[in-house]
Amino acid sequence: MPEPVTNNEMRSGFLPDRIIHLHPTRLCNLACLHCYSESGPKEKAALEVELLLHALPLLKAEGYNVISISGGEPLVYAPLIPLIDEAHANGFRVNLITNGLFAAKRMDEVASRVDGIAISFDGLAPTHNRLRGRADAFERSSAALARLADSGRPVAAAISLTRDALPDLPDLADHLVGLGAKALQVRPVALAGRARTMQDLSSYTSTDQLRLYLIVLALQEELADQAAVHCDLAPARGLWQQRDAYAALLATCTRPGSAEEPERLLAELVNPLVITESGTLKPIAYDFNSCFDVASIGTLSRAQLTEYKQQRLTDLRMLIGGALAGLEGKDGLVDWFDYCTRLSEEQRGAALHKKQNAAAREAVSEPEAVATGSPLVRKAGNVV
Amino acid sequence: MPLTTKDLQKRLSKRLANYKISDGAIKELAERVMVDGMTITRFDVCIYGICLDYYTTKPPKLDGFYTRAGSGASRFQVFPYGIIDWDYWHVKAEFPVDELPGAGGFNR
Repeated sequence: MPEPVTNNEMRSGFLPDRIIHLHPTRLCNLACLHCYSESGPKEKAALEVELLLHALPLLKAEGYNVISISGGEPLVYAPLIPLIDEAHANGFRVNLITNGLFAAKRMDEVASRVDGIAISFDGLAPTHNRLRGRADAFERSSAALARLADSGRPVAAAISLTRDALPDLPDLADHLVGLGAKALQVRPVALAGRARTMQDLSSYTSTDQLRLYLIVLALQEELADQAAVHCDLAPARGLWQQRDAYAALLATCTRPGSAEEPERLLAELVNPLVITESGTLKPIAYDFNSCFDVASIGTLSRAQLTEYKQQRLTDLRMLIGGALAGLEGKDGLVDWFDYCTRLSEEQRGAALHKKQNAAAREAVSEPEAVATGSPLVRKAGNVV
Repeated sequence: MPLTTKDLQKRLSKRLANYKISDGAIKELAERVMVDGMTITRFDVCIYGICLDYYTTKPPKLDGFYTRAGSGASRFQVFPYGIIDWDYWHVKAEFPVDELPGAGGFNR
């Protein structure tokens, strides 16, 4: 079996780190109207911690360096602390995103162990409480943020905004920075999970995205000496210019692990990697089309990942290549990972997927066929 | 009391958020922000307009501001870092903005 190649200098996609988004449970003390994972108090599914602990060394060896734990509400995951401790022992940095409603003792105990913690907000109190289905949610989340900040921990706010909540953003930013937030991560709500049933989201136009982006630029200057403000939306042209961030995935259509191309680390090819509460390893996002799944944590092994890289990575390569090619000459903003996820949904049709798989495997087994293969394969091969 | 830059930033963010700046103006402003090959690093507001600071590792093509920026910039400053950093350029572009007070007032 070929040894993975390590190249710490190479970027892996548009993220600064090589990240695992871990959703160990869908159990949550809230059932938010816009929850992309459709978590809630009745969702008892949770990942066996032994499976996770067993997988950590292999995932570290595959190049990942950060684990970001969400859910569900991660604080209700009983073995959370042993998981964090073992992740640290394996050399990971660990971040956590919580709704901030859990008891102070549990939160403080966990917060003292993680490298970064963020509390999620959806707007000012009326919007936040309506979406969360709880009258005191905003007050309690704010109190949790203030308590963590007062204890000297760097705490961030993860802000998801429906179109209706856009007017809340400047005052919300002031409120959160006033409480001690050192970073604000702003994004439009993803059209996934329960959010699909929210009528008002359908009117989030491209101009609304531009408006959100400009608000964030103004806030970055307004709050420059107090907090970092980041928006998940990015100019399509800027992403196109940085497309070589996907060089490892797209540079060649030869078979990974063959004599022409040594096997690459999974983190150079799939970033972020998502682990769901059911133990599925997925690329990019929780709701990424299951036909792109990487592996199951229950049977995770080096051999299985090698098989994925050699046989099934081509599907993701084609999708990302096509997505990048779609950015060329495109104006406006892109929510990149959401964009890729929606593209993956378009491949839900079984017949289409089967046809693409056949074409992709043909292209991979015969590199010279790329030049005359399908447009998507050509794009994937030529985009970098 | 005269307006500070921070006051203007706050006014701008709130006016943007409350839809008091039209969709047309939003599109025009966004065109100015997103220029090929340049990374925006500052977004300053004064009563007359908006100054954008870009950095680029390629010789800046300033016509990009005109071809996609509607009315265009009123002034450019280009600083080549040269011997300090051979392939590094700082571009400052100033744009008048009708909806700021010096050019028309917030209360229009």
